[in-house]
Amino acid sequence: MNLRISALEYVQEVQNGNISAEDFISSTLDRIKSVDDKLHAFLSVNYDAVDQAKEIDKKVKSGDKVGACFGMPVSVKDNICIKDSTTTCASRMLEDFVAPYDATVISKLKEEDAIFIGKTNMDEFAMGLTTEFSAFGPSKNPWDTQYVPGGSSGGSAVSVSALECIVSLGSDTGGSVRNPASFCGSVGYKPTYGLISRFGLISYANSIEQIGPLTRTVKDAAFLLNLITGLDPNDSTTVDNHDEDYLTDIEAGIEGKKIGVIKEMIAEGTDPTVMSATKDAISKLESLGASCEEISLDMVKYSVAAYYAITATEAGSNLARYDNLRYGYDFPVEGYEFNSYIKKARKKFGPEVTRRIILGGFVPSAGQAGKYFLKALKIKSRLTREVDRVFEKYDLLIAPTVPILPFRIGEKIDDPVALFLVDLNTVTANLAGKPAVSVPFAVSNGLPIGIQLLANSMNDKMLLQAAYALEQTVKLPEVPPIP
Amino acid sequence: MITVEEIQRVARLMKIEVFDHKEYVDKVHAMIEYFDILDSAGVEDEDITTQETPISNLRNDEHVPFDEKLIKRLNHYKGTYVRAPKMS
Repeated sequence: MNLRISALEYVQEVQNGNISAEDFISSTLDRIKSVDDKLHAFLSVNYDAVDQAKEIDKKVKSGDKVGACFGMPVSVKDNICIKDSTTTCASRMLEDFVAPYDATVISKLKEEDAIFIGKTNMDEFAMGLTTEFSAFGPSKNPWDTQYVPGGSSGGSAVSVSALECIVSLGSDTGGSVRNPASFCGSVGYKPTYGLISRFGLISYANSIEQIGPLTRTVKDAAFLLNLITGLDPNDSTTVDNHDEDYLTDIEAGIEGKKIGVIKEMIAEGTDPTVMSATKDAISKLESLGASCEEISLDMVKYSVAAYYAITATEAGSNLARYDNLRYGYDFPVEGYEFNSYIKKARKKFGPEVTRRIILGGFVPSAGQAGKYFLKALKIKSRLTREVDRVFEKYDLLIAPTVPILPFRIGEKIDDPVALFLVDLNTVTANLAGKPAVSVPFAVSNGLPIGIQLLANSMNDKMLLQAAYALEQTVKLPEVPPIP
Repeated sequence: MITVEEIQRVARLMKIEVFDHKEYVDKVHAMIEYFDILDSAGVEDEDITTQETPISNLRNDEHVPFDEKLIKRLNHYKGTYVRAPKMS
């Protein structure tokens, strides 16, 4: 069974009766069994998936209506709730938590006959960008298992790249879909804020995070967006996209488009091979009829500090609910005083989450809020205005997704500020609420490099057209066999 | 410059036990020091823009019955109450 097919190819093959959903799902589960002990993309695997696939095949054979996914195996980051499945957020704190309801994205995909093949590894509560902060151990990059896969949706990116599913759902708070997509050679899409419902996504920083797809192709990302976007009464921040079809006209090209090259994102510190790939991408876009010129966003240099101040504050508030009384693990209450019990129970948070909770208490506290939190909000406002102003003149913006190549596991784990700076090119889209996509573009020393494109709010369709155009200019090598 | 005592006080307020000084206090200190870059952004006069959600976007405030006994999913409960430790 060829597992290296796109979502659209899979749908066509099952629809035409060339392959069965059962065979494909069985082969996918075999693949997971054979490689995942080395990659650790999954925290749990759905072994009932074969039975679900048989039901899809029955519907196909009998001519019954089948949803658009035709039993396609989808992996899901373990901070998105699937009813009656464990949803751990890669935390010991939620080790035994079984979600009592489906996230909206899950309900929508269930209606389209997707099969959830498993829940993927991540940095604990999505706080990190290497997947090293998972309480259950890191995921490994399938291109070289000595290297990080990026994060926090690292398991999702690995599962797509290593053929353990066809597509995956991740969440992107400051680059958590695009960063691992870049490091693992897959497409990672962060939609306009509000385009996809966050209902059922376990909150980290509500004001900027979004669920987003990780896929093998740009067309697959568009296909998935068609299924999961739209207004949701359970998430008042969702926006009406008027049932936009992101696949139609995706091959429209980018002739005549004006693209701004963000100066601050290709500055000192950018790896030379990443810089070279970016220049190459710019040349290719120009050869397709786009015009590119350098632009400046002054606030980018403050964006990472602002991002961490805002997210820590929201995380401190969101994670206050974990007192081990309503969610959590089995830890008897007898013999404890209320506050000492909660303190003791919260020791199950890992080190990075603990640090961010402390930070989240400090940054907005009396006497400090003006210096940190309020200033961060002002930077977010100014940055958004700068980006909006640039989009009055330009259709798209471009930068490398991550300024450096994937690094070795353990290399940066003890230096939180060095890790902060890996986020430099991705947080702007989150702070400004803009859509952004990472397109796999080059491989250097056996490790992938992604190029990031950004568009103005609700211009997701044009962004996907540009991403598709860029994708068509390169043919990357396949992921090497997993050792 | 923030002090170690301030970090420890905030940790107590956030109901976090700081038991490994290097892992928590030193690293949090480094993170907060990095935030000092915010001082040079020159945004003092900037207005904070907020995202307004029209009330029409909110779902109806109505009781939606849930078909399961959620309380039974908890580790500690008595009848229909969450069981918690005594408050001093």
